[in-house]
Amino acid sequence: MQRFLVTACTLAFACVAAMSPTALHAKETVKIVFIGPLTGGNAALGLGGRNSADLAVQLHNADAKAKYTFDMVKLDDQCKPDIGVQVATKAGADNGIIAGVTHYCSAVAIATVDTYHKFGLPVIVWGAVLPAITYGNDYPEIHRVNGTMINQNEVNAKLVTGLGYKTWVIIHDTTDYGKGHDEYFTKFLTQDGGKILADFGVGADQQDFTAILTKVKELNPDVVYFGGLTPIGVRLRSQMDKLGIKSQFEGTSGIVSDSYIQALGPLAEGTIAFIDGAPIDKLPGGKFFLDQYAAHKYGEPPEAYGPYAFVAANLIMDAIEKVGPNRKAVTAELAKTKDHQSIVGPITFDAHGQNVVPIVTAYVVQDGKWVVWGDSDYAKGKRKLAGGK
Amino acid sequence: MRVPLEADVRAPARASDLPVAALGIAAVAAWLWAFLVTDRVAILGALLAVAAIAFVLAQRSAVAKRYGLALARRPRMGVAFAAIGVLAVAAALHDQPYPLLMLCTVMLFVVACIGLDIQTGYCGIVNFAGAAFFGTGAYTAAVLAKQGVPHLFGIVCGAIVAALVGSLLILPVLRTRGYYAALVTIAFGILFSTFLEVNNALGGPQGLKLPGIDLFGWRFNRDVDIGGASASFYVNYVVLALALALGAYVFSRRVDRSWIGLTFDAVRLDETAAAAFGIGIARAKIIAFTLGNFLCGLAGAVYAMMQGFIAPNNFTFGESLILVSILILGGIGNPLGIVPAALIIIVVPQKLQFIQEYRFLLYGILVVLILLFRPEGLLPRPVRRYFPAPR
Amino acid sequence: MDPGVLAQYAFNGLMLGVIYAMVAVGFTLFFGVLDVIQFAHGDVVMAGAFVALATYLALHGLGVAVPGLVVIVVACAAALAMALLGALIARYLVLPLRAAPAFNTLLITLMLGSILRELVRLFYPNGSNPQPFPRLLPTASVNLGNFTLRLDTTILLVVGLATIFVVNLVVRRTRLGLAIRAVAQDSETARVMGIDFQRIVLVTFAIGSALAGIAGVVYGLYYNEVNFDIGLLLGVIGFSAAVVGGLGSIYGAIIGGFLFAALQTIGSVALPVSSAYNNVFAFAVVIILMTWKPTGLIAEPTSERV
Repeated sequence: MQRFLVTACTLAFACVAAMSPTALHAKETVKIVFIGPLTGGNAALGLGGRNSADLAVQLHNADAKAKYTFDMVKLDDQCKPDIGVQVATKAGADNGIIAGVTHYCSAVAIATVDTYHKFGLPVIVWGAVLPAITYGNDYPEIHRVNGTMINQNEVNAKLVTGLGYKTWVIIHDTTDYGKGHDEYFTKFLTQDGGKILADFGVGADQQDFTAILTKVKELNPDVVYFGGLTPIGVRLRSQMDKLGIKSQFEGTSGIVSDSYIQALGPLAEGTIAFIDGAPIDKLPGGKFFLDQYAAHKYGEPPEAYGPYAFVAANLIMDAIEKVGPNRKAVTAELAKTKDHQSIVGPITFDAHGQNVVPIVTAYVVQDGKWVVWGDSDYAKGKRKLAGGK
Repeated sequence: MRVPLEADVRAPARASDLPVAALGIAAVAAWLWAFLVTDRVAILGALLAVAAIAFVLAQRSAVAKRYGLALARRPRMGVAFAAIGVLAVAAALHDQPYPLLMLCTVMLFVVACIGLDIQTGYCGIVNFAGAAFFGTGAYTAAVLAKQGVPHLFGIVCGAIVAALVGSLLILPVLRTRGYYAALVTIAFGILFSTFLEVNNALGGPQGLKLPGIDLFGWRFNRDVDIGGASASFYVNYVVLALALALGAYVFSRRVDRSWIGLTFDAVRLDETAAAAFGIGIARAKIIAFTLGNFLCGLAGAVYAMMQGFIAPNNFTFGESLILVSILILGGIGNPLGIVPAALIIIVVPQKLQFIQEYRFLLYGILVVLILLFRPEGLLPRPVRRYFPAPR
Repeated sequence: MDPGVLAQYAFNGLMLGVIYAMVAVGFTLFFGVLDVIQFAHGDVVMAGAFVALATYLALHGLGVAVPGLVVIVVACAAALAMALLGALIARYLVLPLRAAPAFNTLLITLMLGSILRELVRLFYPNGSNPQPFPRLLPTASVNLGNFTLRLDTTILLVVGLATIFVVNLVVRRTRLGLAIRAVAQDSETARVMGIDFQRIVLVTFAIGSALAGIAGVVYGLYYNEVNFDIGLLLGVIGFSAAVVGGLGSIYGAIIGGFLFAALQTIGSVALPVSSAYNNVFAFAVVIILMTWKPTGLIAEPTSERV
């Protein structure tokens, strides 16, 4: 009997000893959510965003000093508003989820703001560019780290008219993204004295642009502006070449991706495009992000908006570390964000939760890489864009 | 003209029908509850397996036949029990908005698909523009709600406008058949969503916002307080959607059993023979097409107000294909089959969220497998009975 | 309008029409033998383009660089792989559903289409993004005023037309074609006459799908870019072209393909409204055409059996 007791005691002690390190230091696990398009036509950008947000969580969890361990729920909104409302309700109704990194597609982001407000779930939009998402309401829950399409088109129009180009043809896809860019670019370009010869809307799954481009060839503009995403950007640029159109090609943030260059090869050379935010590979944190991203061996590249998802996830986790896992407190804490240093530049939320992005970066493709305009051979006059500018 | 119809010659009910049906509904409701609530992979798999096994066993043994007969003998009882079942599930889920939202979505899609079933399953008119008529209802409701029109009126208008827009297609639909008619509706569906996207008058690609339904001061978007217990506002929509779904079901059964239904049968099975017997083919097709579009529009109007936001890419050709998929998977011509099919097509992809980007692959494989095992759909249309159901 | 520009429109439209016609012919062949629509056909075109691309990369890796040889090997690989895929689809997805309503075949192939799409997106390296398709043909060009005639495009146009011509020849002039036409006309009687029904169906699906595979290669070589999601729209347009032309008729499919290309070209540039309405225009015309000719431009030669 005695022997049994001794054995039992020893065993129990051993168990406690074995378990205690984890038991004592076990961190509370907090759930946050990532929502973006993981299937369908916009999946490339959605997966890039998901991987980047996931990277932020993994890096955070590896930090021994952090108070909480984060668990990221990843949901697919398919880039459809009704599915977006469904997954937003799913996330909002789950009281274990404290905050969200949400939406790449504007139509989905605008559809879900009411849902987040209703459930009091603080979210940071990581990719949708429609101004009304933040400015169309007074909901304290809604924030956005990326800029709206207003900023980049203002800078765009200034830069290209400054280069001496006179005439434009605008081609845009008929989604909210393309139409919005069309609207703002037209506005700023006209202000800066550029002349628009024609404006074409194209479907987001259209394959053949030769008819439109033949017309463009006839109009012979100095520049072809494209408002839309990489797949159509690639098709347009490649078909322009087929038809022998020599105009300069410029685009929006939607084509700033490695796959644009990969798919076009040498044809991509000289394409100009703009993103809202600082040039990521130039900031110290940006280099760290790219290195870590490569080290984690994700199947897909981060794409243009990955860094924003990374920053949004970090903002949320930092806020939770500070005020604890409570939706109201996190909402209040996020509102205070001011000059937060991030890999896309300093983040400051205005009264609508919009990051007041002062920076828009112009890029140009040079030798198979997106190079910041100011550093490129083109800006320095060593090489010439189309039309000898 | 008086035809001896099923309704007139229905067999007297049997006393044992009641407990049998009650048991069945209870089992289905319990399954539905578990299915809507679960977030766990293992439980989801188990539930699907249980459903599949129960389904096969019921078909193999006499159980399915037994239920079919009980329903045929007492159609009202079936509807009442279904209502009780759904309400019980809704009560059990009262504080969980997400499953309630999915339940509403499924029921509203059931309404739209019953509309398509009247067209395709009864009368043989193929409609690949379901989402366009669904969207017409949605946009009409949105525009009218913005003008301050009472919501009930707006919803009814949505349905009527959908039927009216459908009349634009009547001429080509009357002249064509089979795949040719399919092309007419496909063309219309693509035309519709492209038009919405390109034209800015109705919000363009950025869509329109809608208020929640307000019926005579009853605000649907407010959480409900019943005896101190608070329930999610989606309970309101569940009740409304349930009423619509059951109404549409009863309506479609009535149509099917009436002389109109017989006419539809004749037109679907052989137009030439039907014409030879003096049946007005054009009239039958117009009735079926209009009724179907009306139901699609009705469902769309309520769906839009529940979602609070609509955009053109909710109503694309892809969405029409989803509606048709539900119809085919359920078994063309049997409104009962639509319910399990809608659960599979709408809820299962959401339940597969845990596999993220792989979910549509798995979902596609799942549907292919189901069709290989049930080539005619889950519950194919039963042969019309002209004689009393056996006792 | 400048004749050079006009010629350019016409030439581009012809090229587009050839691709559409190649897809439409597949639809019409399948419909002929089984009265079903294989809705994954557009995705078979996409899969063909990706097989071609993978073959090219493999050859490139092996160091094979004779341009003419590479093109032929790549095209054959795509055609053979798609022929096999087509036969498999017929054997395991379409034939098992023969007893069911024809629209069930539509659902199962629709789902197959999304499976093919997702497979390429998920398992082809970086498949979510557009992939560059190599320029394997000589790119010399002649400028005639505003008209640029490119050698590669001309070759593609000729090859596309020739492939359709060969398929037509097979169906019209060979024993195999006779069997296919017999099955298309009356499968019961054909069986009584000793024709192996299943074999003919599989062969027909193989031929149609091989054509789709070559269409995929033509697409890739013409646009120099392929994306995983090109299939759905190609399928819809191919189907529309086949139906507008009249299902079951190869000539109808060809006419339908060119008609569709013409409608899109006109819709993009010749309408007074925004080019974004080009789909609205094209499909509105289709609805009107169907009202005018309810069984397609070249009607099926059928008689009603009461």
